[in-house]
Amino acid sequence: MSKKEVRLFIGPQHPGVTGNMSVEVLLKGDTITWAKTHIGYLHRGFEKLMERRIYIKSFPLVCRICVPEPDTNEENFARALEELGGIDIPERAKWIRTLVLELSRLQMFIMWYGGIAGSMGLSTPVQWGIGDRDYILDLFEELTGGRIYHIYIMPGGVRKDLPEGFEERVLKVMDMIERRLPEYDEIIMENAVVQKRLKGLARIPKEWVDEMGLTGPVARACGFPYDVRKDHPYEAYPYLDFDVITEEGCDAWAMLLVRRREIDLSINLIRQIIDRMPGGEFQVPLPNVLYWRIPPGETYVKSEATRGEFGYYVVSDGSDKPRRVHVNGPSFVHGITLLERLLVGQNIADVAPIMVSLQTCPPEMER
Amino acid sequence: MDKKNYFLDEKPEKLTYGGVFRKIDDWARARSLWVVAYGTGCGSIELRPTFTSRFDAERLGMRMVGTPRQADVLIISGYLTVKTLKRVIRVYEQMQSPKYVVALGACPINGGMYYDSYNAINQLDLYLPVDVWITGCMPRPEAILAGFKRLQELIDSGRADGWKKYIENLDWYRENQRKIIKNWKMPNYNW
Amino acid sequence: MEILERLRERFEVLEEKVQRDDLIFVGTTGKNLIPMLVYLKEYEGFKTLVMISCVDWIEEGKFQLSYNLWAPKQKKNIIVKVFIDRKQPNFTTIYRIWPQAEVYEREIHEMFGVNFEGNPTQGEELILEDWDDIPPMRRDFDTLKYSMEKFGERAPKSRINIRREISEQYDEWRRK
Repeated sequence: MSKKEVRLFIGPQHPGVTGNMSVEVLLKGDTITWAKTHIGYLHRGFEKLMERRIYIKSFPLVCRICVPEPDTNEENFARALEELGGIDIPERAKWIRTLVLELSRLQMFIMWYGGIAGSMGLSTPVQWGIGDRDYILDLFEELTGGRIYHIYIMPGGVRKDLPEGFEERVLKVMDMIERRLPEYDEIIMENAVVQKRLKGLARIPKEWVDEMGLTGPVARACGFPYDVRKDHPYEAYPYLDFDVITEEGCDAWAMLLVRRREIDLSINLIRQIIDRMPGGEFQVPLPNVLYWRIPPGETYVKSEATRGEFGYYVVSDGSDKPRRVHVNGPSFVHGITLLERLLVGQNIADVAPIMVSLQTCPPEMER
Repeated sequence: MDKKNYFLDEKPEKLTYGGVFRKIDDWARARSLWVVAYGTGCGSIELRPTFTSRFDAERLGMRMVGTPRQADVLIISGYLTVKTLKRVIRVYEQMQSPKYVVALGACPINGGMYYDSYNAINQLDLYLPVDVWITGCMPRPEAILAGFKRLQELIDSGRADGWKKYIENLDWYRENQRKIIKNWKMPNYNW
Repeated sequence: MEILERLRERFEVLEEKVQRDDLIFVGTTGKNLIPMLVYLKEYEGFKTLVMISCVDWIEEGKFQLSYNLWAPKQKKNIIVKVFIDRKQPNFTTIYRIWPQAEVYEREIHEMFGVNFEGNPTQGEELILEDWDDIPPMRRDFDTLKYSMEKFGERAPKSRINIRREISEQYDEWRRK
């Protein structure tokens, strides 16, 4: 640090950062010459707590690992336990799980779509995004009883069947959101401020994608068709008809385009799921969950969250508690390794749009 | 970097609160609560709907502000880790009196589901004075609005005096805080 | 699987398991690990490091390090396992092969106390601050005891006593 440089801390108490984390930067004039991510403000030691709890008691914990999108965690952990414990779940449970996952992805994307505009000082899309997201949260509330934390996906299926008439209400909300989207595009996509600031911002070299293990919309914005739903199909995704969305450009604008098209894709997938929802049982009975012992073994399951590949590495030693659960969120690489390198050479005002573009989620970095 | 102690170590000599216009001041304060935008825990996800179009807390005179110097209310949204507690104390002491603390969820009361966690505190009121507790995990926006209504009543009747207790019992709070925060001098990234 | 045969020809493979079509576990020795990772990266297409994880097998006195790799073309995961001594947890860094390994190793050093020689940022605080006990993710670290000592009882004593009395009454009632 020379005398011409200023050390500045962005966050944790800062409206621009995505959650409770902070970035330490060195500034030369207005340009960042060095950056470092500080995390740990939300560390609760989930992995340690899960080693102390029986398997079924871990489910209220895992959904809190990523707050805006909890269902990915539940689904991953349930699928890992089913694989280790040798449980086959019925078809209908798989389709209901996929419906919940897609609804959860959609609400996150809509909130993000408003959030990226908010990070550049446009406050109307933020109000719209969070307001429209609430319609989906109302659906979740009807289905699971909770707005944010659902604890709906359990090993062996899901907790309850769909309520009567739920499908029609989902379709109604989808129609409503689809009608609203052109208005969003008008004030976000066609806004000169957004175009000028995002085009060419945070350009990622293509070779970083494989080298660093970037996933999700960040990798797809660089033209790499990495999507866990297509590469390692899980639940009902192998039966659904969709293409992986890719964009060329590698910058924040390409990431915005990818996520905008993901909203359309999610609506399309939800319609397909409701169209083809099979009947039958929604769960299989488990052995007594209080004494449920899982045979020794280890596995790694993953799924596609809005931010990228979300993985669970579960090691069982044959007792009724897990030996080790390692939660690997996409933000761990995006928020530390990538962000520290991307920020160098950028302006101080662009830190917030870059962080929102990478969609760093602190609770999944530090668990 | 100088290792200056940024925390408040001495009590302020004189409290400029009270007097003839106290009732009028309190009436006005209760109707314009500005909340410092610091999402300390998972509860901050429900603060966004509360403060935007659907539940629209702004009609009750509440809004988010970026800096603690302009804020009246600090929301502790859920559990607090050791690392965040240090920053929260720093934010709280930067705020101008009178100031109020609202705690969301079960975690600040007794640790909640993180009672055995090595990094999350168990009882918040050992370290900061809390005026209103709101139940739920997470509290719904309606619950948060009801909690703020209660806070307004308390301020109106002059009973939201947590900040006064904090100054009067500063030694006791300091002792509790220092038990947890080993390195009391702030490291140079401490913001 | 063909890849397992090729690995067996070149390296010492201690254990192997095909968990799913797209997930293979391979165990090897510490000496063979870095050559095997480089071979997998350069010749077999496992270009991406997904994560590094550590498991504490306290009964056997060992730490297990798991290196999870992904092949973008073949769409396969391979997890390379290696066991190291728990009393002297020293190992070599792989951050020169994959840059993100640096942060994973830093976290494992903080949480388990494994020492990765050559890691430039090892020892810097990543998650914890002013930690004053043994690394928290080790199995012999009692998190409940630590929490009670440092942060106080979960609830005031009177409330706990009431609950205890009720449960004792319930136990007596069941015995009858």
